[in-house]
Amino acid sequence: MLRHLEIWLACARYSVVRTLMFRGDFIVWSLVEFFWMSVNLLLISVIYDHTTSVAGWSKYEMMLLVGTAMLIQRFLMGFFWSSLFEMGRNVRTGNFDFFLAQPGNILFMASTRKLDPDGLLNSLVAGGVVLYSAHKLDLHPGLADVALYVFMVLCGLVIHYSILVISMSAAFWLTSAQGIEGGYFTLTEFSRLPREAFRGVARFLFVWLLPTVVVSNAPAQAIIHGFNLRWVGWLIAIAIGWFGVAIFVFYRGLRRYTSASS
Amino acid sequence: MLASFHKYRHAFLIGLQSNIVYRWNFAVRGFFSLFHLAVVFILWGAAFAATPNIGGFALGPTLTYFVVLLVLQFFIGAFNEDYQISEEIRNGLINQFLLKPINYFVYRFSIFLAARLVSGALILVPLLLAFPAIRGYLAFPHEWWRLALGVPALALSALLQFSIAYCFGLLTFWFLEIQGFVILSMAVESVLGGQMFPLDLLPAWVFHGAQFLPFYYQMYFPGAIITGRLNDPHVILRGIGLEACWVLVLLAIAQTLWVRGLRRHTAVGG
Repeated sequence: MLRHLEIWLACARYSVVRTLMFRGDFIVWSLVEFFWMSVNLLLISVIYDHTTSVAGWSKYEMMLLVGTAMLIQRFLMGFFWSSLFEMGRNVRTGNFDFFLAQPGNILFMASTRKLDPDGLLNSLVAGGVVLYSAHKLDLHPGLADVALYVFMVLCGLVIHYSILVISMSAAFWLTSAQGIEGGYFTLTEFSRLPREAFRGVARFLFVWLLPTVVVSNAPAQAIIHGFNLRWVGWLIAIAIGWFGVAIFVFYRGLRRYTSASS
Repeated sequence: MLASFHKYRHAFLIGLQSNIVYRWNFAVRGFFSLFHLAVVFILWGAAFAATPNIGGFALGPTLTYFVVLLVLQFFIGAFNEDYQISEEIRNGLINQFLLKPINYFVYRFSIFLAARLVSGALILVPLLLAFPAIRGYLAFPHEWWRLALGVPALALSALLQFSIAYCFGLLTFWFLEIQGFVILSMAVESVLGGQMFPLDLLPAWVFHGAQFLPFYYQMYFPGAIITGRLNDPHVILRGIGLEACWVLVLLAIAQTLWVRGLRRHTAVGG
């Protein structure tokens, strides 16, 4: 465990040094993420210019929800996205050999090689949106509420990570995983919607079957309406469940991996 | 003239063949677009639950607008033309065109048309599957003049979108990596092009200002003509005029970038 922490710190140091070498790139990508977050907030703002409630959620409740969804996604982008995105390409080119030869757990090594400081920087912006919305809602959460919120966001991060690992592991079967990441982004669009907006088949599919809605709704509800054991228990259960599925799919896929290098 | 037409007709046919090879990629993308449409239906459906109309339109016309925009995206939108051009410059594949009597813009545009024909046909498949669920919401106006004005607006919009992608692709002459610029531009285009929400929902002064930008004509303008969000033929004709001006401006920018970019370009190898 400690050795893996040391490896991760070395990778993080390498990523920061690399970012400092390509400062222009860092600025452009920070702006990219910032702009896309602004686009989502603008959508909320425009809708609430014409209505007072969406599925029973007020404007700032909705912004807190969207802020939470963005916070989880920024953490994913910052900590895991580049590494997992490259995993799909590396499986196709045979460069995945490199990870098999490294001194650590293969999934850990393949997921944490690169950090994206731009994603982490924008997590501060997403956090700012959550704080601003909480202020507008006149919420005064205690330390325990904040700790619970952070814990639930981390559970959400585990779920997002698991979905991405499962998506990118498709490369072991399909060889080319190009475009699969688009599926991940499409599914996470649902996490910016309130649970109460879903009806019928959509409710069954996106609220109960896929964890895309609960990841953001559970922490947002917890901070707005207070602790709810059912929500917390559900979130922990699906985080463990989906993480287990991700590990299973990854290692099943790994068995099919045949190096493409000479 | 005729020989020139045949030349690009062949480019179009080759483009058609190579894009049919990638039919599954387009099909998968079309399938995922249905999820995006589901998000739109759920979000706007919930917003309309609290009010009978938003911006003067009921739920049906608003959802029709988003369905039409989805179809337009696959028929006239630029997908990855900027990346393809960028790759050709970076890998030196562009060198072959410098020695041949081929206009690179027209060549790429012929391939763009072929690609949109394939992707446009393929988006109809998932839409047909979803049709029983969405047909109750679809509400189209019936005036004939919308077709007469909508078709030139669509043609100009396709040219506009391709020209923007072409210009971004040519930036590779100056920058090694253009992906960041492209995605940054996509964020701006998705808002000012009306893909996130109909532009008429913005405050009046912003909506008025947006009409002078090229993004307005990428998606919102043809979509609004077809779905009845724009109703005055005189205003639409003036819009087509402005759209044509933006096409000319972008063609001029594209030509300038091409000429100046080639001065910087180094062709290595045989």
